[in-house]
Amino acid sequence: MFRHYRKKILESPISVLFPVSGLVILGLATLFSITSTQGHAPPNALSKQTLFIIPAVILMSMILLTPRRIIHKYIYIIYGCIIIAVTVPFFGEKIAGTYRWINIGLPFGLQPSEIAKWVIVIALARYLSDHNLKMKNFDAIVVPFLFVLFPTIIVFSQPDLGTAFVMIIPVFTMLFWVGSRPIHLFLIIAPLFSIFTAFDVLIFSIWAGIMAVVIFLARLKLWHALGLFFSNLFLGLIFPLIWGSLRSYQQNRILTLFNPELDPLGAGYQIIQSKTALGSGGFLGKGWGQGTQTHLKFLPVQESDFIVSVIGEEFGFLTLLIMLVLFSWLIIKIIGLALNATDRFSSLVLVGISTIFLTHVFVNCAMTAGMIPVKGLPLPFISYGGSFLLSCFMMVGFVLNFGRDKLD
Amino acid sequence: MLKSPNSASKSTYWVMIVGVVLLHTVLAFRFFQLQILDFDIYNQRAESNRIRAMSIPAPRGLILDRNGEIIVDNFPTYILYGIGAEIINKKHNYNVIMQSTGIDTTFLKKNYQNYYRNQFVPTRLAKDLTINQLSRLEEEKNELSGIIYKQFPERSYNQKIYASHALGYLKEIDKQSIEKLGKDNQLEYGDLIGWSGIEKNYETSLRGKKGVTYYEVDAFGREAGKIGGQENILPNPGKNITTTLDVSLQQLLETELRGRRGVGIVSRPETGGILAYVSAPNYNPDFFTGLLSNIDWQSVIADTNRPLLDRAANGLYPPGSIFKMVVAIALLEKKLINPQVEIFCPGSYEFYDRTFGCWNQNGHGKTNLEQAIVQSCDVYFYQVIQKIKLDELAEAAKQFGFGLETYIDLPSELKGIMPTRQFMNRLYGRRGWAQGALLNIAIGQGEILVTPLQMARYINMLATKGKTRTLHIVQNKNHNIPEPDISIGSWNLIQDYMSKVVTAPKGTGRRSNPKIPGLKIWGKTGTAENPHGEPHAWYIAYGEKDGEMISVVILLENGGHGGEVATPIARNIFKHYFTSNRMKLAKK
Repeated sequence: MFRHYRKKILESPISVLFPVSGLVILGLATLFSITSTQGHAPPNALSKQTLFIIPAVILMSMILLTPRRIIHKYIYIIYGCIIIAVTVPFFGEKIAGTYRWINIGLPFGLQPSEIAKWVIVIALARYLSDHNLKMKNFDAIVVPFLFVLFPTIIVFSQPDLGTAFVMIIPVFTMLFWVGSRPIHLFLIIAPLFSIFTAFDVLIFSIWAGIMAVVIFLARLKLWHALGLFFSNLFLGLIFPLIWGSLRSYQQNRILTLFNPELDPLGAGYQIIQSKTALGSGGFLGKGWGQGTQTHLKFLPVQESDFIVSVIGEEFGFLTLLIMLVLFSWLIIKIIGLALNATDRFSSLVLVGISTIFLTHVFVNCAMTAGMIPVKGLPLPFISYGGSFLLSCFMMVGFVLNFGRDKLD
Repeated sequence: MLKSPNSASKSTYWVMIVGVVLLHTVLAFRFFQLQILDFDIYNQRAESNRIRAMSIPAPRGLILDRNGEIIVDNFPTYILYGIGAEIINKKHNYNVIMQSTGIDTTFLKKNYQNYYRNQFVPTRLAKDLTINQLSRLEEEKNELSGIIYKQFPERSYNQKIYASHALGYLKEIDKQSIEKLGKDNQLEYGDLIGWSGIEKNYETSLRGKKGVTYYEVDAFGREAGKIGGQENILPNPGKNITTTLDVSLQQLLETELRGRRGVGIVSRPETGGILAYVSAPNYNPDFFTGLLSNIDWQSVIADTNRPLLDRAANGLYPPGSIFKMVVAIALLEKKLINPQVEIFCPGSYEFYDRTFGCWNQNGHGKTNLEQAIVQSCDVYFYQVIQKIKLDELAEAAKQFGFGLETYIDLPSELKGIMPTRQFMNRLYGRRGWAQGALLNIAIGQGEILVTPLQMARYINMLATKGKTRTLHIVQNKNHNIPEPDISIGSWNLIQDYMSKVVTAPKGTGRRSNPKIPGLKIWGKTGTAENPHGEPHAWYIAYGEKDGEMISVVILLENGGHGGEVATPIARNIFKHYFTSNRMKLAKK
């Protein structure tokens, strides 16, 4: 039996572990700087993160060795369980003002939404590979999209905009991968545009025009086209009315969700600090333990969400560039494996997982650099967070598993 | 699953790859922009301009008396801090500070060591700087680096009263309290929190919520201005607390007890609100503000009179004769005695092989229940107590709160001891005690112990015929005092006797009567023997005029006879309350 496992391991694309290890080491070095310079005694972020590597690697190995057909067989059930798990916290306690955590009596909580990200990807992968859908058709998109939309909305109302965002993006890449036409995908996002442009008559009219052209080019069936067009119009007209009926504090809540800089003391301040720390690092950084902005403790969540600021301040542009190279190497490698995968299911799983990683990396770095509003997405392998670290390694496990170019 | 072939096309693949590379390049460019192109901007900001967040202390809630007069106020002092990373020459800085403020450098050094957390966070150097010291220091600003100061509200106290035990004091928070009270209470080392009394019990509402101020400072720690677009969070002041105390009564009571050891409690029987609360000796609460030197602290601790002890809630004393009403009511309710029946008191009583004495060695002669209470005859009670069992007596006493908490809104109180069979068995062994103990208990001696607070509740019960409310200085804890199951006849009878304690020519409480027209007083004296010297003098009473009623509890530790030394104090209280020119207060 062990020979069987050994064979499996050797067949896996182990080279994926190179960038992963590099990123983990970078993360630990940064946490080391934070904890030792600021005098955090263990148990601290560094010790906890290091400790989590062990179960992470174990889980990764377990997933690597699990036969693919078993994963394929049970994924729908797991999907159902996750939906329940994500809904459960609503009936539990509110921790840190959100409903994300399930209190299982341990010193850390469990975030089911963490696992949900890739469970949804795998479930979607199964759906898209089981059914021989005519992906060139618009209709083929609808079901997969709803499949994913459902848990996304639950997570969104926890409220966790960041995770919801990460959940929904893979749909687009995976659908694209199996041949959906980009125009169709565009039309799925259309309602969002309708809502956002609804507040200005001119802009809305321009949007309506664009929509009409795109729909025409998409050559949909007539009543599909009309339905789409008019339902978007309807949305655009109805939305300002709904908005107006909300009380101002409710409006503020929603606005802050999208643009936290409206909350000056909270996130707006974080962005200022983050950019200052980053920028002042220069090319080579200020040196290990010398980050004044970091250690002044004005960067909250510097161990997780804003860890890039710490890296930028202490280790400089060069290190950030290396980090980006490592990430892109990892993601491109996974997509390469997807291209050469043994079957459609495996291929889709790989594409979905690479998208999850990509989304995390881009959103986290863009947020830290002040390009987008604060979203609170951790950086894979680097940000402190047990739940997330486990999840990332589990995804690596799936990559190693599904990336094998030999059939089970 | 495996039937579905991987039909991914190369073109799709390349689109994805391009997308990935594009996104990463965007990020790289952004980093480049911040760290290389705009480096000077951010570097300058970080190096010579630093953003500091300082907490703005919240003014602590004031403590007022029932009429709104301020008892405890805040006054601002200043705390001096040093920031390790910014101080250029510690020795030089300390010298400058010493020259302008007079604070010794060794003191500064010690504080720096004690409060140091890391080189970027302000470390406390000295506190309670006056405006004068501060302005002299400001003049030397150019000589200093990394030295900052922050305003800090200390407590200041109404000069008329001490009320130290009721109010409590503030002390610096220690590690345990920070851990216990948790991080979301924003407590930092160096903060003051209430350690006793009202300041402790109502800590959370008094404390308020700290604010935050963000500002930029240059390399010398000088404020360079507010951060653009950054709003400070204003602090939330703590809530003021209105107590039930009356400053003028408190003042009077403190004067009466000055130089002595004992307790005085004045309250309203109908509501349980406490008008005056004195434990003597007390101490000036100003003692705890400002820089408390170790020497001062040791002298207070070493004082044999124990001024820090709150004798009202935590002092245990035998009640003596004031317990007799409980015995009387217990017997009346069980119909075990006839109040008219007379017993002869020759001054002592033989019980088996022991002789129990009456306080009046000459004896009271023929005594019925009324006389036994009015003149406080012990022999009467030695006899009648034998009709009842200890546990039955304990049950009756419990109804009046003996052996139970009063649930007053202060952090700690003792329950005293109301002996039962089980208690005595455990203490002495089943054969180690006999009925003789009951005789002692009947006159409030022996194993029975009470706190003066319990006696306040007791007299309030008697005054309202069982309908009193929980004692409180601020708020009623809404703890239900169950109404005792006692017949109206017994209440009336006992009240009548207590009235005669004051009005009868030989009544032991006659010295408590200020003889104000319309004012009626009921009371009971006690003289509790104890092994430490002179007996404790007790007097509990209530007075009523024009529908207004207050109760008084006086205890003088080793003071002598209740009728002689405690009653005059009560008289002064009644006199002050019922003649002073006050508006009729709302019932509180």
